[in-house]
Amino acid sequence: MSKTFLVAQREYLENVRTKTFWIGILAVPVILILSFVGVALFSKAKGVRTYAVLDRSAEQWLSKAIEQRAQGGDLQRILRESRVAREQAAQRTPAQIRAELEEARAGASAPPLRELLEILLAMPDQDLARFAAGTPDPQLILGHPQLMAWATRQDPKQMAALASGLDAAKYRRVEVREPGTDAEARLRAMVQSGELFAYFVIGPDPIQGTQECLYVSNNFTDRELREWFSGLATEIVRERRVASLKLTAEQGRFLQERFVFSEKQVSEKTGALEEVQKTQKAFQFAPLVFVYLLFISVLMWASMLLTNTIEEKSNRILEVLLSSVSPFQLMAGKVLGIAGTGLTVVVSWVAFAYVGVKALPLFLERMPDVEFTAILGSPLYLASFAGYFLAGYLFYAAILVGIGSVCNSLKEAQNLVMPVNLLLMVPLLAMLPVVNEPNGTLARVLTYIPLFTPFLMMNRAGGPPPMWEYGASTVLIALSVAVAFWAAAKVFRIGVLMTGKPPRLTEILHWIRAPVGTPHVHHEET
Amino acid sequence: MDHALTLDRVTKRFGDFTAVDQLSLRIPRGCVYGFLGQNGAGKTTTIRMVMSIFYPDAGSITVLGEPNAEAIKDRLGYLPEEKGLYKKMRAGEIVAYFGKLKGLAPAVANRRARELLARYGLSDWIDKRCESLSKGMGQKVQILGTLIHEPELVILDEPFSGLDPVNQEALREVILDQKRAGRTVIFSTHVMSHAEELCDFLFLIHKGKKVLDGTLAEVKAGGEPTIHLDYDGDGAALRDLPGVRQVRDKGKQAEILLLPGADPQAILAALVGRLRIRRFDTREPSLQEIFIRAVGGRSDE
Repeated sequence: MSKTFLVAQREYLENVRTKTFWIGILAVPVILILSFVGVALFSKAKGVRTYAVLDRSAEQWLSKAIEQRAQGGDLQRILRESRVAREQAAQRTPAQIRAELEEARAGASAPPLRELLEILLAMPDQDLARFAAGTPDPQLILGHPQLMAWATRQDPKQMAALASGLDAAKYRRVEVREPGTDAEARLRAMVQSGELFAYFVIGPDPIQGTQECLYVSNNFTDRELREWFSGLATEIVRERRVASLKLTAEQGRFLQERFVFSEKQVSEKTGALEEVQKTQKAFQFAPLVFVYLLFISVLMWASMLLTNTIEEKSNRILEVLLSSVSPFQLMAGKVLGIAGTGLTVVVSWVAFAYVGVKALPLFLERMPDVEFTAILGSPLYLASFAGYFLAGYLFYAAILVGIGSVCNSLKEAQNLVMPVNLLLMVPLLAMLPVVNEPNGTLARVLTYIPLFTPFLMMNRAGGPPPMWEYGASTVLIALSVAVAFWAAAKVFRIGVLMTGKPPRLTEILHWIRAPVGTPHVHHEET
Repeated sequence: MDHALTLDRVTKRFGDFTAVDQLSLRIPRGCVYGFLGQNGAGKTTTIRMVMSIFYPDAGSITVLGEPNAEAIKDRLGYLPEEKGLYKKMRAGEIVAYFGKLKGLAPAVANRRARELLARYGLSDWIDKRCESLSKGMGQKVQILGTLIHEPELVILDEPFSGLDPVNQEALREVILDQKRAGRTVIFSTHVMSHAEELCDFLFLIHKGKKVLDGTLAEVKAGGEPTIHLDYDGDGAALRDLPGVRQVRDKGKQAEILLLPGADPQAILAALVGRLRIRRFDTREPSLQEIFIRAVGGRSDE
């Protein structure tokens, strides 16, 4: 056994002490971070969409209302992000709210924010309480001329610094001068030249219908502007229609209220209803990460094993080694050494992820909805992943090391490895259906095919599957790994010293069936 | 029990091809033993069977008194015909690694690796990666790797191939050092001069069958002595000499192959006066000649 360890140790050190190995490990998180930052920068760099509105409604009422509504929405976001409004605020007394706002004003560095807080502090208690309770109602904001005036005064860039995703930062409206007869021709020219992203035409009577309403642009892949603008228009027109039916604003809102089912779960301990735990989501989606990780690992490390075996075979070093260690020890050592290398990579990545998740709040100020750290804090869950992960790797490693031993070149090996790689696609394709139905028929059937067992059991962790399935699959995969190793060792001992064309499958099966020590029939030296 | 290696009617077939046929050998301890033969004669197959890399189809092999070579791997040193090293490992590391695989304690292996490399002129290369070594140096490193655990029986398959004369000399020294330390060395070669210089015992294999074996003297005694003659005069005088089997007359030189027991002195006497003799020497047949004669000049590979 110590010889196996020596082989593994050499294999591990040879990989781990190269610079490229550590660069490779670092590259993944760095590339991930860069691509996130890149996407974020890119979406910012997408730039402001300039648009114009040719409004033929009476006194341009609709476009004015839309603009106000957009400002109202931005204000709402600013209030939320500057923590003036908070979910738990309902329990606070106006005096407490005032104290908090005073404190916030003292700490506010941006003049616009300070100004905004002053406007809020000047409000009567009753209004202030409504502002501070949950997400402020757009109607409430629109009803406060000082707030609207503040929003109109602000430079969009300064506004954008106060909260993320503001409409003012995304869309800029260009005034249409002299909206006379040739105005539309001028706008067309501007769209043509790229000066304008798009323009809207609003018909004379939008309440009645959308006749003569147009959206003109030359870019129809990015429909965000259109969706946003028509969303606001719909809200306003709907309110007007409600008003025209002589309903009160309250009744109008009642009509428009969305129908929402609130989510609850049954507590495992008491059997009572309780709030949905955030960690649940993590436990449902983390398996996907692990399935991917196993997939990538098997592809990467098992093929590393394959290249390594072929390289040593063509290096002619195997025969020397075989004079000191048995083929099984050599094979097991290689598999373990590369597994060690692989685990070093995974552990490094998990450590990166852990640090990343811990550090995330520092940058985002808010935690993402899903509690990833809960998984890292659940040793049983991690242990089952580690177990299946290792079993999956070992199983495929045995297959690939067997293949590697009978091939003389990577090219030959690639042909033989192809079916294995295709098989690996199955758990990947089944991933989403299985997450949605972790204890369904598909999941259950695939679980008991040894090639897929580790993937499926990890995939189903969100279910979770009953205890007996954990037991049965563990026994199954342990047996499969043992059989795969036993067969691979027999192929390996003959294959590694063989040159010439790879043996036929029937020949390989013959080697596996033959008892150890039986000579194999193959033309090696002729 | 005083034999390092015994083969008893060992046969190995690959399909229809018989690589080794009914081979029996006894190799005493503490000697240098040469396996001679053409390429493809069965030397490597025999060695691989000794090392339990192949299993014989028939017959039995006893290594160091043990029928199962796998059980005593650590007491054997083996250099295969195809030689390779881990390119990324340093010379000192890889020699030590081979030692550790043979069961040496890491500290001992590391110390001995440095000593061995230094002793055989590779001290500058101890910390160099194997990929930077020349082929000959790599081969030396590998040979040292097979000796680091001080094996009782060392088997070297074609150790001289690819070495320059200086390194061949160094390798001879390595082999003799092993012999002096009381170890048994078996090596295969198809270059007769190496065997002639080093071997106590020889074994000649052709097409899987044993042709000759014995001590160097025995093998040589089995061959015919030859007279080399440089002369001026009529070559007809070389005919009808006593005790001669064959004359190869080249005009100014001749090779006279004698029958067993013939007296070179009588031939010299017969020639004096008939020819002007510039040189006359008798010597034992070279292994080369014995070899070529033994396989009948049939070099079909």
